[in-house]
Amino acid sequence: MQNIEMIRMQINYLVTQSRYDINTLSTMSDTSVNQQILQRLWDALSTIHFLTEWLVNQEKASYHILPSQLSAPVPSWNLNQGQIPSITPLPNTPISQSNQRTFTIGELAKFNGKNGRPAYVAVNGIVYDVTTNRAWAAATHFGLIAGKDYSQEFASCHDGKQSILATIPIVGRLV
Amino acid sequence: MKGQILVPKSLTNEAIAERLTSTALKNIKKGIIKKKPLIYLELNGCSGNIISLLNGQNPDFEYTLNSMVDLCYCNSLMAAEGDRAIEKLIKAMNEEFILAVEGAVALKNNGLYNIIGSWQGKPLTGLHAAKMLGERASHILAVGACATHGGVSAAKPNPSQSVGLQQVLPDKNMIKLPGCPVHPDWFLGTLAHLLLYGEPETDNLNRPLMFYSTIIHDRCPRRPFFDRGIFAEKLGDQTCLFKLGCRGPVTRVDCPTRQWNGHVNWPIGDNTPCIGCAQFGFPDAMAPFISYDTTRVVKNE
Repeated sequence: MQNIEMIRMQINYLVTQSRYDINTLSTMSDTSVNQQILQRLWDALSTIHFLTEWLVNQEKASYHILPSQLSAPVPSWNLNQGQIPSITPLPNTPISQSNQRTFTIGELAKFNGKNGRPAYVAVNGIVYDVTTNRAWAAATHFGLIAGKDYSQEFASCHDGKQSILATIPIVGRLV
Repeated sequence: MKGQILVPKSLTNEAIAERLTSTALKNIKKGIIKKKPLIYLELNGCSGNIISLLNGQNPDFEYTLNSMVDLCYCNSLMAAEGDRAIEKLIKAMNEEFILAVEGAVALKNNGLYNIIGSWQGKPLTGLHAAKMLGERASHILAVGACATHGGVSAAKPNPSQSVGLQQVLPDKNMIKLPGCPVHPDWFLGTLAHLLLYGEPETDNLNRPLMFYSTIIHDRCPRRPFFDRGIFAEKLGDQTCLFKLGCRGPVTRVDCPTRQWNGHVNWPIGDNTPCIGCAQFGFPDAMAPFISYDTTRVVKNE
């Protein structure tokens, strides 16, 4: 029951923030700031939607709420910071302890995202984890399936842009 | 937009449509804008776009036809048929006109896989009509997936060798409205903008920014589920459909906020994944539309 109370507080916080934002919007005329406020309003609304849906589901299933599922905190922002962060978490840092693992092309093929396995792809000798990469829904990406080396495809479609790869977690090297 | 974000002007679809309608009528009355002829060509496709347009609201199709354009030719909607219809098409070509094209251009056997009528005793192919009309049109709108990039007509193995309209008119500017089908608002809104204010601002793929500026994923009401890693395992689950193969993260259009069938609902709102129908390369590049084997764990496989 304490968790329900916490969710209620979160929702109340978001509602208060949204009211404040609406008030700000009605008086501000700076387009760039307004865009940010609108984005934050949208995010707040989505989070409220998420929390209420979750509450209803909990009620239906009469589960106890697992605190771990609500671990993503509702960020508190300061308008004076200039930039309003979105609720999207930053991509995982590519440096992890297991990123020195080596894969043969045959081993890589097993990580095709099927049956709950992770989805890995290789580009220029580095193996990346695209399991939760948003462009790789169901471990497929514009007709490509995970578990393969796509150095050529990456070069031809993405013009070799390293900035795209820089946001994807590295799991090892292709040998 | 400044000052119009909130009160006092209503931002409901009906209110926006009414403002658009009254502005257009006022400007026609004042002589600021003139009704322009529109030729609507249906090439190699399923006529799904014209069906979708008939479901239009804000502005609705009848209003658009009666008050903003003179529809000179549209083989689904015109009364004339056969030679009389083609005569109208040829006659309309001699004056300034806006060309809207749905369906792909079939190249095989010099276009013989798609014949839209007969002219001077010979079959008029879609290929010939697209080139002839495209060269003379003041503005071109490519409507739907097939016209913009080949779409379903050009899907493997593409027996009719279909291509998008731009391929046969490489030097012409055209506004592209991908989608399978196009949302009536995307077409009618673009047309209204064209008549009232000129060509709308477009991105580098010639899609109007007012409809195609945002990735579905960024406006998805289920985004919080994605961010927290809570994924649907089957159709009907009310969480993020990413693991089932949702193409919302790679598709740029305004479905989450616009919605379909009279702005009532959209695929994700009904618990089925987005299939990326408004993305270039659809349907081949967006396949498979649904996958269950990502979440279903088979033991001892």
